[in-house]
Amino acid sequence: MSSLLAAASFDVPTIEYGQLSPMLIIFGVAVLSLLVEAFAPRGSRRPIQLVLVFAGLAAAFAAVVMIRGTQHIAAMGSVAVDGPALFMQGAILVLAFIAALVMAERQVDPLGDAFAPRASALPGSTDEIAFTRLGWLQTEVWPLFLFSVGGMLLFPASADLLTMFVALEVVSLPLYIMAGLARRRRLLSQEAALKYFVLGAFSSAFFLYGTALFYGYAGSVDLSAISDALTANAGSMWLVITATGLVSVGLLFKIGAVPFHQWTPDVYQGSPTPVTGFMAACTKIAAFGALLRIMYVALGGIRWDWRPMMYVIAALTMIVGTLFALTQTDMKRMLAYSSIAQAGFMLVGVIATNQAGLSGTMVYLVAYGIATIGAFAIVTLVRDSTGEASHLSQWAGLGRKAPIVASAFALFLLAFAGIPLTSGFTGKFAVFTAGIAGGATPVVIIGLVASAVAAFFYVRVIVLMFFNEPTSDDGVSVVVPSGFTTLAITISVALTLVIGLVPQLILDLANQAGLFIR
Amino acid sequence: MGEVYLPILVLGILGAAFAVFSVAAPSIIGPRRYNRARLDAYECGIDPTPQPIGGGRFPIKYYLTAMLFIVFDIEIVFLYPFAVAFDQLRLFGLIEMAVFIVTVLAVYAYVWRRGGLEWD
Amino acid sequence: MNPANYLYLSAILFSLGAVGVLVRRNAIVMFMCVELMLNACNLAFVSFARINGNLDGQVIAFFVMVVAAAEVVVGLAIIMTIFRTRRSASVDEANLLKY
Repeated sequence: MSSLLAAASFDVPTIEYGQLSPMLIIFGVAVLSLLVEAFAPRGSRRPIQLVLVFAGLAAAFAAVVMIRGTQHIAAMGSVAVDGPALFMQGAILVLAFIAALVMAERQVDPLGDAFAPRASALPGSTDEIAFTRLGWLQTEVWPLFLFSVGGMLLFPASADLLTMFVALEVVSLPLYIMAGLARRRRLLSQEAALKYFVLGAFSSAFFLYGTALFYGYAGSVDLSAISDALTANAGSMWLVITATGLVSVGLLFKIGAVPFHQWTPDVYQGSPTPVTGFMAACTKIAAFGALLRIMYVALGGIRWDWRPMMYVIAALTMIVGTLFALTQTDMKRMLAYSSIAQAGFMLVGVIATNQAGLSGTMVYLVAYGIATIGAFAIVTLVRDSTGEASHLSQWAGLGRKAPIVASAFALFLLAFAGIPLTSGFTGKFAVFTAGIAGGATPVVIIGLVASAVAAFFYVRVIVLMFFNEPTSDDGVSVVVPSGFTTLAITISVALTLVIGLVPQLILDLANQAGLFIR
Repeated sequence: MGEVYLPILVLGILGAAFAVFSVAAPSIIGPRRYNRARLDAYECGIDPTPQPIGGGRFPIKYYLTAMLFIVFDIEIVFLYPFAVAFDQLRLFGLIEMAVFIVTVLAVYAYVWRRGGLEWD
Repeated sequence: MNPANYLYLSAILFSLGAVGVLVRRNAIVMFMCVELMLNACNLAFVSFARINGNLDGQVIAFFVMVVAAAEVVVGLAIIMTIFRTRRSASVDEANLLKY
């Protein structure tokens, strides 16, 4: 080892700050936002944080637009700044912006915003009641949110497995905490945080061991070096297959694919609803970005070895997600199982392993993300005296009580179902055609059947809202939100319609993104 | 062959000498004031074993302090590689490490302002 | 000594940790098992660094340690909150969320 240390040719590393600027901006703003928590007086924290968050997201998005067209592996081979990475970074920033609007809402709950005034106070204790009466707000959620967004930007752009692991943790650690911050039903929320944390840490350990095995195989954790070693066909194939399996477990967990999906319904139900929308949409984009990059860049050469595994997982995910969604009685749990089924449809694009599969998955991710944030934003509006009324029976007759909100929700459900003229159809069409072109026809057929079954439970909710009588005086009403949530829902509705009516816009954008840089 | 292990032997002797010195020197030159805390064995500041049945409890403040210590202690691990190669890294290394330390300091400022360092 | 033996040890430690997470019912103990898994990964990284003859694995071990420490802090904070609410760290009692 000492001879290695002495090997003198030492290159001073360089970092392309311009190409990394979206991430640097978000992390910089996150640190600033932490300092606001430290030094700003309590009353002024919320306005300062909101300005920082929205300005930061907008600046980072502008930076993504500025560096569009870049094809370069920056930061000494650690971060790939290429078309798909920039596309997904832009999508994550837009969706994070909409999610932040929902999180900033504090008019729908008479007690304040969606987050516990002091997460450390015991639920139901006199402390908690006192903090609520004082009207204190938990503004620490904003630095956590920004750190998580920063990790999400890095995740799909990671060009080596170590960077990817660190990004995975930077995404997850703030989310574990945010899952436990709900103002109401705090026991459920804390339980969600515990489950998310234990299972998340467990799965990231698998990812890390897979990384170790890849390092042993290729002598490097660079995705392109792994690809080169596979082409040279050196070393033990068993090592590669085990490593592929372990790394996939870590990523499939984040995606919520069956059989690693058990955390999803519990965490989605227990978390504060604005956070649920954020993690359902943005985490999925980031994790799919990372999965696509590994499968296309590092393991594209052995796709015949991992495809059978992915076939089974994609089919199981679509079937299990759809069947369990049929039996749910809670709106948030139903949306959670629906997001599992959607992950299965997106995996078809991963299996395709071609340019169309990549761009199709990206379009699907955007379409799904927008509808998801919109749907969860509407869940925050349907309330009774104890908080959100998330039981399905409480949604009966909502079309009469609040036609506009119910129509928007129906639009998002139709988008999930993949009905033509909504964004979901654009995504499903792109992914399934890519799947057929990539030779994954059996999985596509399972996907089509699952979509038809899934359409049933989406339409069932629409029927429930518009054609059922509301149960008499159950106290459920649709509250009128402030401009934040209104704007978020409006943007989601508009984008869902635009992607559905003029699909060529986003399809062209995704196609121009091209392939991953090697 | 044998001289390869000489540094390890020297390190072992130095370590043993330091241990003996640290135990012996205070008993020779230090003042002698005995109380219960001084006579107890030292176990990271908590009551030494045997503890009450079930392990007993220690205050939540101890947990907070221990957590903060671990985080800030581990962050410093990145300073070691820098210390080995700082002259070759030139200005680039200095600026990057400065950014790193400022980031850690921002967290420290947060902990300090929020009362994380106050024991009572 | 054959460095491959360290790989076998790391695989055994990793499996012990994984089984521990699955069979133990105390959140703290489960969490310690996760840490055991991460440290098994570290052992694999440094063993492979020795076998491959480059230093990457040793540097990666640094990063893993830092990430593990951050995970400890977040995890213990969550477990502590749950414990204060329920006076128990058993994951079997965390059963409010189900279908």
